[in-house]
Amino acid sequence: MPPSSAAYWFARCGFSAALLLLACGIATAWFGNGLQLPSTTTRDGTLITLNRYVREPIPDVVLVGSSLTFRLKEEYFATPRLRNLALAGGSPVTGLELVANQPRLPRIILVEANVLSRSMDAALVAKYSRSDDAEPLFFRPIRTAVAAYEDRLHAPLNHTQVSSSLHRLIEQPPSDFDNSIYLERALQQWNDEDPTAAVQMNVMRIKQLIPEIERRGSRVLLFELPCSTQLEGSRSAKITREIVHTAFSDPGRWLHIEYARAELRWADGVHLDERSAAIVTQSFDKALSSLRKSP
Amino acid sequence: MTFTSWQFGAFVAIVFGAYYLPPFKSLQVQLLVAASLFFYGYGQPGLLPLLAVAVLGTYLFLILALRNRSLWLPIGIFFNLALLAFFKYKFLFIAPESPGVTGLPSIDFLLRLPLPIGISFFVFHNISLLVDLTAKQKQPPDIKSVFLYIIFFPQLVSGPITRAEMFMPQIQPKYFGDIPFVDAAKWILTGFFFKLYVANNLNEMTSYMDFPLYETLQTQDRWLLIFLYSYQIYADFFGYSAIAIGLGLLFGYRLPINFNLPYISVSFSEFWTRWHISLSNWLRTYLYVPLGGNRDGALRTYLNLMIVMGLGGLWHGAGPGYLLWGLLHGVLLVIERPFLGRLATIDSTVFRVARIGFVFVCVTMLWIFFKLPNFDHAVSYLSGMFTSSTNPNPPKLFHDLALVYSLPVVIQHFVSRSRFEQTVSGAEPYLYGLMAALMYLEAGPETSFIYFQF
Repeated sequence: MPPSSAAYWFARCGFSAALLLLACGIATAWFGNGLQLPSTTTRDGTLITLNRYVREPIPDVVLVGSSLTFRLKEEYFATPRLRNLALAGGSPVTGLELVANQPRLPRIILVEANVLSRSMDAALVAKYSRSDDAEPLFFRPIRTAVAAYEDRLHAPLNHTQVSSSLHRLIEQPPSDFDNSIYLERALQQWNDEDPTAAVQMNVMRIKQLIPEIERRGSRVLLFELPCSTQLEGSRSAKITREIVHTAFSDPGRWLHIEYARAELRWADGVHLDERSAAIVTQSFDKALSSLRKSP
Repeated sequence: MTFTSWQFGAFVAIVFGAYYLPPFKSLQVQLLVAASLFFYGYGQPGLLPLLAVAVLGTYLFLILALRNRSLWLPIGIFFNLALLAFFKYKFLFIAPESPGVTGLPSIDFLLRLPLPIGISFFVFHNISLLVDLTAKQKQPPDIKSVFLYIIFFPQLVSGPITRAEMFMPQIQPKYFGDIPFVDAAKWILTGFFFKLYVANNLNEMTSYMDFPLYETLQTQDRWLLIFLYSYQIYADFFGYSAIAIGLGLLFGYRLPINFNLPYISVSFSEFWTRWHISLSNWLRTYLYVPLGGNRDGALRTYLNLMIVMGLGGLWHGAGPGYLLWGLLHGVLLVIERPFLGRLATIDSTVFRVARIGFVFVCVTMLWIFFKLPNFDHAVSYLSGMFTSSTNPNPPKLFHDLALVYSLPVVIQHFVSRSRFEQTVSGAEPYLYGLMAALMYLEAGPETSFIYFQF
C-alpha cells in the first residue's frame, strides 16, 4: 500500500474511533453515569447497592451487614424509605463506615452482629467516601445498552408490587428441602475458624463509630439474624456472640426482632430462604414500628 | 510487562523509534536483542542468566553439531528437553517453599526458582534451531542472530513458535519504507480487541468456573460457561498471537499465523491444522515425523498420534489434567482417522454443520482441563453438567452480556470472510477505528494472558 493510502487508511480509522469516543463523551456529559451497569460478579452486585446509596436521597433506615442480611430484600419491607446496604461476602463494619462517611445520615442504622470475622474493605470505603470522586469520562456503550435493556425487563420492585406475592409465599408451609450437605460444610467452616481477633477489632471499631454517628443525630442499633441451631452452636458463632454481647451489654442498644423460629429454613445451611427472609422482614417492620412509637 | 500494559506501549514506542534511526542502522539486530533481554528481565530479572545459559548452551551444541551431527544433535536436544523438564516438572516432586531439599545451597537455589516465563516456547525454538540449521548448512550463524531468533520479544513469551529455517533468513537490514503499516495495525488492533473486549470481559463470567464457585452454578450455566471459556481461550490466545504478528511486522519480521478459524473444523485432525498452528507444525515436524508418522501401518500411526498428543498435553503443564487433555485429543484423532475418507465423500451442508458442531462441542468440553488444572475439580465440573443443580441461590449470569462479548468470535468464524470483506470493503478502516474505541471503552478487567502460564 503506498504511503498516502496508508495515511488515508489511518485517518479514516482514527476518525471513526474519535467519533465513537466523542459520542460516548457527550452522552456521558449529558446523561451522566446514572444508568447502573449490570453486574457479572458478586463484587459488581455490591457496587450496584453502594452506587444507589450515594446517588439517591438518604433513606430513614439503613441496614448494614453481611450476606446473611443481604437476603432481606428491600421490597420485602413495609417500612418506607429503608435501604439494605449489606454486602455479600463483606463485613457489616464496611457498610457502617461507608454510611458514617457520608455527609448526611439516616435516622436509624441497623448493624448485623452475626458475622464480624471479616475485616473492613478499606478500598471500598475509600472509593465511596470521596465526595470529589470524578465521574468516568466515557460510559461503556455496550454495557449501558444492556443495562437499559435489563432495567426495562427487570425494573426494581417496591413493597406494594410484591406484597400480595409475599403474602402467598408466607402462607405456604416451610420448605422441606434437605440442606444437610450444605449445613455440614458450613458447620465445619464455622467450627474451624477462630474469629476472636477479627471480631474484637470490628467490635472496637463499631464502638468508636457509634458515638460519632449518634452525635450527628442518628441512632445505631445492633441486631442478630436467626441461624440454624447447629450453626448458632458453632465455635465461630459462640465466640462472636460472647464478644459482641460483652461489648454491647445494654439491651437498649439492640433491635429485638421476634419470629416463629420453627417456620424458618436455611436452604444453603447459612442464609435464610426466601420465605424465611420474608418472615424475618415482617418482624423487622414490627420492631421498627414500635421503635418509632416509643419516646 | 504484559502486552496490555502502558509500560509495554512505551517500551515498543521507544524501541521502534530507535530501530529505524540512521545511527542504529547497522545495530538493528543488537538493538532488538537488547530490547528483548530488557523485556524478559523486566518481570523476572533473576531468570535472565537462565535464558543466557539456554541460548549460549544451544549455540555451543549448534557449533558442535555442525561438525558431528549424529553425536551432538541428540545431546543438544537432550540439553534443552532437560531444561524444560527440570523447570516445568520439578514442582511435582518438591514443594517450592521447602527449606532445603538437597542441603546443597546452589542446587536448592535452582530447585526453588520459579517457572521461567516462556520456557516452553524458547526451548522449542532452540530445538528447531539445532535441527534445521544442522540439516542444511555448514557454517554456524552469528551469535546475535541466534539470540534474536530465540528471544525476539513479540514471540518470546507465548509464541508463535517460529521455525529457524523460516526466521533466520529474515535477519537482514530493515527499512522504514518497507513497513506494512496498515497490515501491522490491523493485526495489532484485532489482537487487542480480542484480548481486551472479548477475553477479559468473558473472564469476568468464567471466573465462576473456578473452585469452589462452580459448585453454586445452575446446570445450564455450567454449560453456558464452558462455551464462554472456549471463546475466551481462543480470543485470549488468538489476540496474543495477532499482536505478536503485528509487532513482528513493525520490526520487519513475518511471524507464522497461529490460528485459522479453528471452531469451524469438521474433524479433529482439521482442528489441529487451525488451532495453535505453530505448535502443531512443530510437533509434526520434530516429533510425529521422526517417530515414523503414518509410514509404518495403522497401529503404529495411532500409537504415534497418542504419543504426540500426550506429550503435547504435558508440554502445557505438569499435571494429570493436561496429560489427559492431550491423550483425549489423541483418542479422538485415532477414532476419526479410519472414517475421514468416507466422511469426506458425503456432500451435505447439514452434515457438515453437524460435524462442525460435534467437533466444537468435544473440543470445548476438553478445555475444562485448562480452566481447572486440578483433575478432581475438572471431573467434578463436568459431572455437574449432567446432574441437576440443587443450590437454591445460584449466581445470576447475564446472557445478553455473554452474547455481546462472544459475538466477535462468532462473527469471525461463521460469517464468510469473502462476503464480509465485500460488504465492508470501503468501511474497513472505520470498522478498525470502532474496534479501537470499543476495546478502550469496553475493556474488561485486566487479566494475564492464559498461555503465559505455559
